[in-house]
Amino acid sequence: MQQSIIKYTLLIALTTLVACTKVININLNDAAPQLVIQGNITNQVGVTTVSISKTINYAQDNVFPTVSGAVVTIKDSNSGVTTPLVEVTPGNYQASTIVGTSGHTYLLNVLLNGTTYKASSTMPSPVTLDSITFQINSGFGQTLINPMPNFQDPAGISNSYQFIQTINSKITKKVFVFDDRLSDGKYIARQLFNDSAYIQPKDTIQLEMRCIDKNVFEYFKQLSGLDPTNGQPTAPTNPVSNISGGALGYFSAHTTQKKKAIVQ
Amino acid sequence: MKFYLKGLKILLFFIGFMPILAYSQVKTKYTVNGTIRDKQTGEILIGANVKITKLAGLGTVSNAYGFYAISAEEGYCTLVVSFAGFVNDTINLNLAKNTELNIALVPYRSQLEEVVVSTRKKNENITKAVMGVQKLSINEIKNVPVLFGEKDVLKTIQLLPGIKSAGEGNSGFYVRGGSSDQNLILLDEATVYNASHLLGFFSTFNSDAIKDITVYKGGMPAEYGGRLSSVIDIKTNDGSNQKFGVSGGIGLISSRLNAEGPIVKDRGSFNISARRTYADLFLALSKDSSIKNNKLYFYDLNGKANYKLNDKNRLFLSIYNGRDNLGFGGSFGIDYGNTTATLRWNHIYNSRLFSNTSLIYTNYNYKIKITAANNNLLITSKIRDFNVKQDFQYYVSGTSKVNFGLDFIHHNLVPGSVTATQQSSFNNTELQTKYSVESAAYVSHEWSATEKLNLTYGLRVSMFNALGPGNFYSYDAAGNVKDTTTYKNGQVVKTYVNLQPRFATSYQLNDRQSIKLSYSRNVQNIHLLSNSTSANPTDLYVGSSNNIKPEIADQIAVGYYQNFKENAYEFSAEVYYKALQNQIDYKNGAELRANENVESQLLYGKGRAYGIELFFKKKYGKFNGWVGYTLSKTERQFDQINNGAWYNATQDRTHEISVVGIYQASKKWTVSATFVYYTGNAVTFPSGKYNINGQTVFYYTERNGYRMPNYHRLDFGATLQGKKTAKTDRSWTFSLYNAYGRENAFAINFQEDPNNANKTQAVQTTLFRWVPSVTYNFKF
Repeated sequence: MQQSIIKYTLLIALTTLVACTKVININLNDAAPQLVIQGNITNQVGVTTVSISKTINYAQDNVFPTVSGAVVTIKDSNSGVTTPLVEVTPGNYQASTIVGTSGHTYLLNVLLNGTTYKASSTMPSPVTLDSITFQINSGFGQTLINPMPNFQDPAGISNSYQFIQTINSKITKKVFVFDDRLSDGKYIARQLFNDSAYIQPKDTIQLEMRCIDKNVFEYFKQLSGLDPTNGQPTAPTNPVSNISGGALGYFSAHTTQKKKAIVQ
Repeated sequence: MKFYLKGLKILLFFIGFMPILAYSQVKTKYTVNGTIRDKQTGEILIGANVKITKLAGLGTVSNAYGFYAISAEEGYCTLVVSFAGFVNDTINLNLAKNTELNIALVPYRSQLEEVVVSTRKKNENITKAVMGVQKLSINEIKNVPVLFGEKDVLKTIQLLPGIKSAGEGNSGFYVRGGSSDQNLILLDEATVYNASHLLGFFSTFNSDAIKDITVYKGGMPAEYGGRLSSVIDIKTNDGSNQKFGVSGGIGLISSRLNAEGPIVKDRGSFNISARRTYADLFLALSKDSSIKNNKLYFYDLNGKANYKLNDKNRLFLSIYNGRDNLGFGGSFGIDYGNTTATLRWNHIYNSRLFSNTSLIYTNYNYKIKITAANNNLLITSKIRDFNVKQDFQYYVSGTSKVNFGLDFIHHNLVPGSVTATQQSSFNNTELQTKYSVESAAYVSHEWSATEKLNLTYGLRVSMFNALGPGNFYSYDAAGNVKDTTTYKNGQVVKTYVNLQPRFATSYQLNDRQSIKLSYSRNVQNIHLLSNSTSANPTDLYVGSSNNIKPEIADQIAVGYYQNFKENAYEFSAEVYYKALQNQIDYKNGAELRANENVESQLLYGKGRAYGIELFFKKKYGKFNGWVGYTLSKTERQFDQINNGAWYNATQDRTHEISVVGIYQASKKWTVSATFVYYTGNAVTFPSGKYNINGQTVFYYTERNGYRMPNYHRLDFGATLQGKKTAKTDRSWTFSLYNAYGRENAFAINFQEDPNNANKTQAVQTTLFRWVPSVTYNFKF
């Protein structure tokens, strides 16, 4: 958090000085398509989804090819139950019978063209999101409104949180994650840093709070490190996935809870 | 205690070598010694040449304190003392005993002195056995145009071959493939840890306070140590010991004020320089409170005093304090800065033995304040050194000089503490303070073996002790704590002893041409951890430890030097190869902040850098300046990065050209221009993209496989000299940075096209185009 604040201050100071931007053309090398797997299990009754797609070249339109014909199963290693997922639409594999239980470890198995991709994720205990408040920062002629989830962090255990933000029903394309490394056992109200253009007064903000496991947190933390609005990474690299076998993406067993608030 | 004794033994062992080096003198010789000064101001002259006419050889050069010593056989002899910009002094002597002779040179009083580009002996570059060295006097910097019109030594040295700017308008730099933390920056001998202000756009060195700057890109003499790539040795003004004077400047960004004068005439003087930026004062004029409440300024304060107790003893006190203050409304702010103090005692034991003892204090710290509804936080960090240094210079004969000494530094590194209010989301956290002692002994011999062959060779032995108290961890491959050992106060955790041989030789083909060869090993025990591209005030320093090994660099260089037209033009070509060991990089997603186990986040690898540097300089005349060209390669290799293959370091720029021209058009006008061109930095760009939760995410295949666009820029400067009288001196300095408005890329980011979510676009950020500035300078 300190880091993002400093970078933000410096960034604003910098842009206030003289910076200007323009769109440029760059020719980037092509890369062989890579497999991308995303899997989520929650503690709510609903649909468990695993989606499989492929990478495309930089210059192509953002239409990501789906991958059909995989054999996808999820095993609850505590209960021993294995559930197969059905390909509902191309590249989308679902099961409606799985409701995640905190403390259980789930094993994802994807078999595709003779290669097996495996991942495991343990669902953390739920933490209750009490409310959403807002912090209004103003400086250098700009106003920056950030939502703050308010909740009690459980003491003595390591917790990691992910937030999915929607502004007036539109999902914000930004990763918000933090852990309790420096906040263990505190009542937490931390700003989720938005760009100054994002949130305006009277907007309705919804936050979905997810309690995620350590590996998934690491994955999303590294992913958010690639976002230039969070500061310039020296050398961007692909986030370390918790999926073995050479696929990109993640598999997360997490709790979920949603709350809404209107910016005053 | 045991390690101290061990260290002491090693030191004594080397001092034991001294008599061998200092071979005995011929009995009928006597020594002349003294101090060389500017007659008008009493300012000490560094690097003035003293030669005895009947003796062959080069003569000697006054040291950093203006001290010289030279030997000759008894009887009549003639001493010639020279220093560019000053009238030569010729002194006839009848030597019958060791003689003390203080010399005061008279400066030329012509307009031409303003454009004197070198204050050195005219062909010192040919004769001296040092390589990779560039010296600049403040006069050379004076007319070079820079960003915002702030004369800046750290930016001007970036125009020299082999020294690369860390980025647009940035005072950070890379030397011969090294990292930006591998430069030893000394201000009157005190290490300055963070030499930049305001995101790096300004250096901490107010040019009003600076007398002289020497840059070593390789072949560092044995008295310097502690960093791998370079030494930037900055010496400040002593002030006039004859009369009081005030000078200053008023610019768009900052103003400066300088006062100097005698403490006691002829015995001591002081110099005080101050500088402050005032962008924030304009902010305060705004009615908009979101603008008014911001802070954005820095200041520098340099003070120096010297006092001659008697002919044998002199004291110098230098103090520096500089601080930045940045605040974003009332919500968060950061202030940071350096404080250094140096107390030096020059003592002349006898006509041959000169001694300097220094007590040095350095402190760099930062404070971050965050004020939010429920979240008041204070984050602090500090690095503090106490340093004792003893240097001796023994003038064996006219052709032989031995330097030797000892150096002890006690480091105290506070990696960070978080102080939070009760309601805050954060706990109070305090990381363990790290203690260490860095000690070194060195000996070095400067020797003119023959008329043509000069040698400087030496050895520096350094020892680093990581000390308790505290817990020290060892880690498994995954970075988990494997073992914890608790050490008591002062207990030695880890000791590293390194031998650092230094060697340089020059062979003069004739009085205009020479070839040189040098080898040096440097060791670094204080490491900067930073995973952002720009210098960040919150960068973290760590010492070598049970996990982190000392960084080591070996550099070999050969060079060819030639002067033309009575030394008016100089040319040099140097080729170097540098091998780096125990370099540091970071694991994926490394957590460097407030992390007790930060050492588990590091990767260790090696580096190599090689290149050729060409330099052509016109030193005198109405038109002067230089052209520099560097062709180089800089690579790194880490087992865990880029599949273990060598990759280009960020600062790997294949070609780099700089051109500096200064022309004295008339008595009133001096105009100047600089042009810079370099290959873009190596950079990692995506080679593909994919979708995660509806966001487009980029896929990377190799480290630094792409290039930023090539960088080039032209700057103009002009100085209008007002009427100069004995009492007053006024001038205007104008500059235009990036005169043709080149949109140089500061950063290139990839993002979703805001007008078409189906497309991805590359966005280039440019910082400065056409930045004009004007400064009014006065002196009375």
